[in-house]
Amino acid sequence: MKKIIALLISLFLITGCASVAQERSLKNLPDNAFSVEIPEGWWKPKHIDKYLLTKDGVFLQYVLIQQRPIDRPYRNTKKKLNKGMLPQEAAGVIIDEIASDRRIHNFNVIENAPAIIDGREAFKILFTYKDKKGSTFKTLYYGFISGDSFYNLRYNAAIRHYFEKDITTFEQILSSFKVVKDKAALNVALDR
Amino acid sequence: MKYLASIIAVCCLVAGCAPPRPIPVNQTLTASEEEQMLWRRAQEEQDTINGSGALYQYPENEDSLNPIAEKLHKNSISPDISFQIKVVKDPNLNAFAFPNGAIYIHTGILARMDNEAQLAALLAHEMAHCTHRHSFRALRSINDRTQAKNATVRELAQLLGITGSIASISGYTHELETEADRVGLDLAVKANYDPKEVLNLFELLKQEIKIEGIEEPYFFGTHPNVQQRIENVNNLLAEKYRGKITGIKNTDVFQSKISRLVLDNARLDLRQGRFHIAQRMVKKYLTTKPEDAQAYYLLGEIFRQRGQQNDAGAAQKNYEKAISLNPSFPEPHKAMGLIHYKDGEKRLAKKYFESCLLLSPDTADKAYIQGYLKLCVTNGEG
Repeated sequence: MKKIIALLISLFLITGCASVAQERSLKNLPDNAFSVEIPEGWWKPKHIDKYLLTKDGVFLQYVLIQQRPIDRPYRNTKKKLNKGMLPQEAAGVIIDEIASDRRIHNFNVIENAPAIIDGREAFKILFTYKDKKGSTFKTLYYGFISGDSFYNLRYNAAIRHYFEKDITTFEQILSSFKVVKDKAALNVALDR
Repeated sequence: MKYLASIIAVCCLVAGCAPPRPIPVNQTLTASEEEQMLWRRAQEEQDTINGSGALYQYPENEDSLNPIAEKLHKNSISPDISFQIKVVKDPNLNAFAFPNGAIYIHTGILARMDNEAQLAALLAHEMAHCTHRHSFRALRSINDRTQAKNATVRELAQLLGITGSIASISGYTHELETEADRVGLDLAVKANYDPKEVLNLFELLKQEIKIEGIEEPYFFGTHPNVQQRIENVNNLLAEKYRGKITGIKNTDVFQSKISRLVLDNARLDLRQGRFHIAQRMVKKYLTTKPEDAQAYYLLGEIFRQRGQQNDAGAAQKNYEKAISLNPSFPEPHKAMGLIHYKDGEKRLAKKYFESCLLLSPDTADKAYIQGYLKLCVTNGEG
């Protein structure tokens, strides 16, 4: 009887691990006109339809990379980005969008400064906020306008413990970021 | 999953096609465990709002709001309820009450008001929701309708923060909103406020909805519609309050008290990209404070950020006015620098950026400005 129980437990653990391994993959990352090098141990949650990566779970930390059409409206502000904007002006729109979000409490901008991403003039915003449950998060948000697109890379993590833990990894992701105009080159980059 | 299913069920019930029938007013509602639980839950929800950074902290406002509520409360049917009025930094037109007497008013709706009588009308309406136990009656009627066990109400409140969500999101039923209008009007009249201002408040907000193409504010609830409520109040004025055609308005005192709020709310409108409303609100503010540099700076920002034809010129004009009113105010200097920088007028840009840094060496945008200044010099126009 003991052997059967042990066997059942083993089987349960093996199948459990297998399903976790399947969950923690980089499968189904959406196609985008950019490439990044994804560090070991980071994975894409199965049910999120975005270029979003995490190591310990999205409620603890995530990196989100987006390419969005410049004229796509935002949810909370009617302001729009445009091609002629300076990084500082684009940062202003993003700050207004976040500050107008009712789900974000105690929003506080710590730093808003110019940056360079993939050789392009960009902005970086460092801010903290609380969610509705009162948990505090810290976000480092980089963005730049290129052509008809607005690219942004953000690292969001629980302020306690997790933000500092993975900030270096995010900086590595950031420095590997490249805008890939050629779709074929993009696919090669994603296959790596 | 159980919770998700419950949430969906609650949403369906609250927002269902057929609004729940309220319990008759004369039906006894004892302070049961359910209602006590509702109050506790209301307090928790308020703690969340109060700690969220969303409250508009300007003591002058609360000092002027609470005495109005006290005046109205003298004639209410529930003297035990202690009313507390708080203001939420939100440019949308809304106000809502919790069953324990906490009333939250958005800066957006306050900023649009003309006088104290309109504020009294809104407060009296919200107070009626509390004194007539509308949250509890709405929940009880949902409970009765679904023939669920008593536990359902408890579960609903735990899940959704239901006290606030009924009041602020879905609105009450037709009967409860109509009752709040009727009782509210009565409280305003008994406190000697001009009853016609109730109608003026409705009309004011109705026009705003139309002009700005905004969604109908939550304050109006979902049932009945604004026009129906205007007609209801009109009928009451004609029948019950015939001859009561005057009362307190306190227009000037009210405008003076809320002037700072009007400007701060215009900033929130600008943040949401509602340029036209923001512009109207700044102009309203300027009628009480015509020499305020911050207001002209804000007008400049509205034009600069909107970026339509001729807006750059209008922005510049307002920044210049702000600088002339207060030369040591750094923000318009920075904004002028930006306009010239984008126009390629590096020499002028440099002048304004330098004056901004001189006035405010630690300005939040320092890193950007230093970058622009470097480029102004390297471009050989320094």
